[in-house]
Amino acid sequence: MIVLDSVSKSFNGKWAVKGLSLHVEKGEVFGLLGPNAAGKTTAIKMMTGLLRPTEGKILLNGYDIVKEPIQAKSILGYVPDKAFLYEKLKGREFLKFIASIHGIEKFTAFKRIDELIGIFGIKEIEDELIESYSQGMRQRLLFLSALIHNPQALLIDEPFVGLDPFGVMMIKDVIRRLSSGGVAVFLATHSLHIAEELCERVGLISKGSLISIKNKKEIVSEGGLQEFFLKITS
Amino acid sequence: MKTTLLLLIPKIISIKNSITLKAFLKRLPFIFIGLIFWAIFFIGTYKVLDFIRGIFYFGEILSKKLLSMTIFTLSIFLVLSNIITALSSFYISKDISFLLSKPVRIKEILRLKTIETIFSSSWMVISFIPPFFIAYGINYGASFLFYLVLILTFIPFILVSGGVGITIAHLLTRIFPVKKTRLAILAIGLITFIFLYIFIRSQWSISPERPERFIHSLLSLKTDYPYLPGFWMTESVAPLLKRQPPNFFYPGLLLSFGAFILIVSGMVGNKLYNINLERIQPSVRYGAKATVEGFYPGRNGAVLWKDVKIFFRDAGQWSQLFIIGALILVYIYNFKTLPLKSIANIFPFIRELMALVNMVTAGLVLSAVSARFLYSSISLEGMSFWIIRTSPVNVKRILLSKFLFGFIPVTVILSTVVFITNMAIGSDNLLMFLSVCTMLILCISISGLGIGMGAVYPKFKYENIASISMSPGGMFFMLIAFAVILLTVSIEAWAFFQYKKAVLSNVPLNLIEKGQLFLAGTAIITLNFFTFYIPMKMGKKRLEEDLNI
Repeated sequence: MIVLDSVSKSFNGKWAVKGLSLHVEKGEVFGLLGPNAAGKTTAIKMMTGLLRPTEGKILLNGYDIVKEPIQAKSILGYVPDKAFLYEKLKGREFLKFIASIHGIEKFTAFKRIDELIGIFGIKEIEDELIESYSQGMRQRLLFLSALIHNPQALLIDEPFVGLDPFGVMMIKDVIRRLSSGGVAVFLATHSLHIAEELCERVGLISKGSLISIKNKKEIVSEGGLQEFFLKITS
Repeated sequence: MKTTLLLLIPKIISIKNSITLKAFLKRLPFIFIGLIFWAIFFIGTYKVLDFIRGIFYFGEILSKKLLSMTIFTLSIFLVLSNIITALSSFYISKDISFLLSKPVRIKEILRLKTIETIFSSSWMVISFIPPFFIAYGINYGASFLFYLVLILTFIPFILVSGGVGITIAHLLTRIFPVKKTRLAILAIGLITFIFLYIFIRSQWSISPERPERFIHSLLSLKTDYPYLPGFWMTESVAPLLKRQPPNFFYPGLLLSFGAFILIVSGMVGNKLYNINLERIQPSVRYGAKATVEGFYPGRNGAVLWKDVKIFFRDAGQWSQLFIIGALILVYIYNFKTLPLKSIANIFPFIRELMALVNMVTAGLVLSAVSARFLYSSISLEGMSFWIIRTSPVNVKRILLSKFLFGFIPVTVILSTVVFITNMAIGSDNLLMFLSVCTMLILCISISGLGIGMGAVYPKFKYENIASISMSPGGMFFMLIAFAVILLTVSIEAWAFFQYKKAVLSNVPLNLIEKGQLFLAGTAIITLNFFTFYIPMKMGKKRLEEDLNI
């Protein structure tokens, strides 16, 4: 579902990501783990089309994000690490906007919005301006907006920023349900316990290069993710 | 005060860090243009002074009147500018929460914000007004003392305007309860409009059809009330122009009132700042009823629908419309009062000429409005632009939505202005048709230019909306827009007068002349087509590139 083939990105001659190759299958939760400034966010931004790879290619369900951006973005959901939203729109209006630009028909959109608003617990504030939302509520709204069009691939950059324990539990549950429904989930995080708990495979990135990819079994047999992380990054 | 200086250090360092050779070179063309403006302004003022001072008996009175009028206008402009800047600086700016979370007394924050406000709202005036005073000094052969006193009195003059503006901003924020900032700015807009309207109606009631009436009208403008700081400023510097001994009373008055009003603004701020801050915090009303049914924009109209919603909810975006509206009304009023009948006896083409001048002026209004509402529209997406960029919408559609959002109101307003002003000057049908069509063509091309260039030079991280159109890219847009407008109107003027000449001399146009007129029309359409097309294409390309937000 998600394929990165020798993807590199340089800024002013410096490599932020170098030769990144990986794939995420349907229904798989993949975690890209790494210290700060390792290249996780750059990798995700290339996958969303915000940045263009200097080298290599990225395919989403077979669509090249550079050559066929509209088709690729149609099957993609994206939750960034910073919740910049349209402050002067109300929650429901924002969701209507997102549904509209994904070309969802009115009746389906309204039904889907109602369903997701219920799941994410923002019913009480859906008719308030986003500027009045707390960080946690914004994060919920972001997740919700990323799922409106039933994406086949979901990219999440630091998934639990600003969420309360209930919100964290809820999002974890949503991610599990999405994966069992066949959605490929790509998580970029530096939080070890989240990756350990949710991901079937974990890739470790440092200084822009992918150092290793391990599955859950291999990680456990090597003494857990913390050991793996420290061994690789030290 | 020590803490205030400490708080100022990051701002000073930021300014220092932004002054690099690269930044200087980037701004060099604008510095050059600024210098040309200075030269033109200086020569213009000098020539006007020469003319005015040469008028028998009234010369010196008129010269002083011009000085007092300019200072009076400056003071009004500075107060308004301070009110608007203070609202965002004290209550909306992004560093407020940071400052409030630190062990800093409110008094220190108020001082810091006062310095920031006065500086931000006055630097532009300070940078464009010197040629006016230098022209006065040189024309009168004033001594060094004139310039020294001018600088020394200008500082308290700015402080007075700042103190008044800041105090009004605190009071406005206190008076208007929920969504106060929005209402406060609305109030400022309305006050400005009412003030301008009443001022012009009451002061300029005499039709200036003859020179002596014009002089009388000018002298009847009451801009020098002895209670106004502008009067004190005029009285401080005017005697020095004629090398009379300096007057210490008025500079002293300015200085003491400057100090007094700053203390007052500090006291008002101390009293109201905390209350006002609490009131402007956005709050959630739990249990608000959602509208489950309702309008759904659909894919083609989504971006436009979103932009319209945000525009009307964000006071920062629409508040300047009031000022623009007031200026347009003043503009139309001026056309209505033009003494065309009497001038037509001397110069028969006055209506045609005025129609062309009208087109250029309306074109200039178009570029200013476009800079604010069209050029800025991509940047206004701000850090939220990732939402659209990661969605399955092509950039062309985004640009088209932005274009429609600005183009429709701009065209309606400016075509109406051109229509009304042409009615006022009594243009014939042909002239009316040409003027409205030209304005329509210009609205399309300048709107496209604005959207396209705004996409080529996006500024997603901005402190206030005005800074987008004031950026180097914004200035560049204005220059190109001016050039296109002047070129379009010049070609049209040439073609129109060729035609008019033939009609008046009763000689039908020959084939070559007809060809020339056709070429002129083609040139106008081609010029405006490329003004629209090239920037839009460049903007599309730019927005499809990396967007590291």
